[in-house]
Amino acid sequence: MKSSAVSVREALLQPGTHDLRRARTDWVMQRIFQVAAFLAVLPLFVLIFYVTLRALPWLSPALLTNNPLDQEPGILNAIVGSLQMTALALLVTGPIGIAGGVYLSEFASSRVATIGEFVIDIMLGIPSIVAGIFAYLVLVPILGFSGWAASAALGVLTLPIVMRTTQEVMRLVPPSIREASLALGVPVWRTTLLVTLRTALPGVLTGLVLATSRSLGETAPLLMTARGTNAENFLDFGTTMNAMPIVIYQYAGAADERSIGQAWATALVLMVIALALNVLVRWRTINSRVA
Amino acid sequence: MSGAALDFRRQRSASSDPLFRRILAAGAAVAGILLLVVTGYLFAYSAPLWSIQSPISFLTTPAWVTGIEQADGSVLEVYGAASALFGTAATSIIAVLFAAPIGILGAIYLVEFAPRALAVPLAFLVELIAAIPSVVFGLWALGDLSNRLRDSIEWWVASSFGQIFPWLSEDPTSPASDSIFRAGFLLAIMILPMIVAVSREFLRSVPISLREGYIGMGATRWEAIRDVVIPTARIGLIGAVLLALGRALGETIAVTMVIGNAEGIPSSLLLPGQTIASKIANNIGETSGEIPLASMTALALALFLLSFLISLAVRISLRRFSRVRAVS
Repeated sequence: MKSSAVSVREALLQPGTHDLRRARTDWVMQRIFQVAAFLAVLPLFVLIFYVTLRALPWLSPALLTNNPLDQEPGILNAIVGSLQMTALALLVTGPIGIAGGVYLSEFASSRVATIGEFVIDIMLGIPSIVAGIFAYLVLVPILGFSGWAASAALGVLTLPIVMRTTQEVMRLVPPSIREASLALGVPVWRTTLLVTLRTALPGVLTGLVLATSRSLGETAPLLMTARGTNAENFLDFGTTMNAMPIVIYQYAGAADERSIGQAWATALVLMVIALALNVLVRWRTINSRVA
Repeated sequence: MSGAALDFRRQRSASSDPLFRRILAAGAAVAGILLLVVTGYLFAYSAPLWSIQSPISFLTTPAWVTGIEQADGSVLEVYGAASALFGTAATSIIAVLFAAPIGILGAIYLVEFAPRALAVPLAFLVELIAAIPSVVFGLWALGDLSNRLRDSIEWWVASSFGQIFPWLSEDPTSPASDSIFRAGFLLAIMILPMIVAVSREFLRSVPISLREGYIGMGATRWEAIRDVVIPTARIGLIGAVLLALGRALGETIAVTMVIGNAEGIPSSLLLPGQTIASKIANNIGETSGEIPLASMTALALALFLLSFLISLAVRISLRRFSRVRAVS
């Protein structure tokens, strides 16, 4: 509170100038906030514009449908690799994360829930390079440089995302819905699965899509585990596997124009997929106001 | 909400309910076990390093020398994380210095001033930035942003302050191709959406009636923000910045692409350096042998503990508020 007795007297003596100054400050501050908000969205447009600009000359149907071993340039194996490693990671972390999230929200005592939330917080904060070095030191010696090891690293990073979103949206389901079902004599497990989880399903799917998007963009853990390859690698989890982020990273520093162009084109494909997934779910959440 | 949980625990229903509960509990337990396993391995794999060097000397030594044979036949081996720690701290602080004011002021605009028809799409667009993979940011920085920064902000900083502060100077004839400053600036863009999203949530949780009361007493909207909204949401805003700081510390690939990966603590922020994450990403492929691998793991352990401390700080600072949406 700035208004001391002196400034109040001043205001009474000369209301005109004082109020004018305050109004002017108010106006200036509003403009400052406005500019900040504008600056905050600016990078998105600049980035999208620039990536598209650099990528378009190199983007062609052949690029997307060729394997680099058969015909350069091609990134088909990278797209396939990215999708299948992410799918494998989420096939495992999806059910586990949903189960854990449901448990923490529905059944855990408040003490266990607090501990669980903290564990998830820490896991969400694990830097991807740490998950990468874990997979590199522990899993690569057993599984070799492979899609398996890469998917495991991705799993460590996606599990807390699925669990956190599931827990959050389950909490938003009104208790009365559960109570109504239980009062009708429906067992707890059926109530949880068919009533509570069903109600929260859009939010749970949001969590899965966010985890997918995060997983598709991870680079460092993949460089340390899947390594990248030129060969076709459909369902070939036992050996090195290609992925879009690996292609971008490796070609970004290349000397020849065509390789760099390929990095930009791959970046555009990856960016479009990631943005599409996020637009899909975030638009949904804005409309439904769940999550 | 806790009411529902209570009801469920008291249910003594027969049949498959206990089994169902146990399956779900197992799911939750996986997260805890996974965290313990990762932490355990980080400690175990970094242990061999402590036989030749103490953790304190590891954290404070800037030099990193992997086995060079000396003239007298002995092998010189020094592992110091100070250079990488310095880079991690410098890039994260630069990122927060840029992103925190813009993010918080922008969030204030979205909550306090923007009409709803503008606020929703703007918030939506800002959050989309978080969806862009970090390797794409890295490519953008490498191919465009980096050079622009060098020719604009960096040039201006070096020519205006370089004479006074040596740590802001650069060689004007050959500006560095990569720099700590550029990595920090890139990080600022990457953590911006998180600051906006979390700040926005906390600003929105300030009751409308508080603002109305103050404005009803004759205050302007800016005065209401300064005297009522910001003080009320202060802890949440600090939490938002801490959360973003945690994200910046661990960011790997984009930083690796623009920081230059140079050993040692640079004399100026406009020179190349390295962060913990970029050092691991850049060197792990060529690292072999027990002690060098242990030293890499020790770096990862240091980074992990740092993020752990930040998570702890976020949790403590946000305890008063019900919940943060940490997934963004």
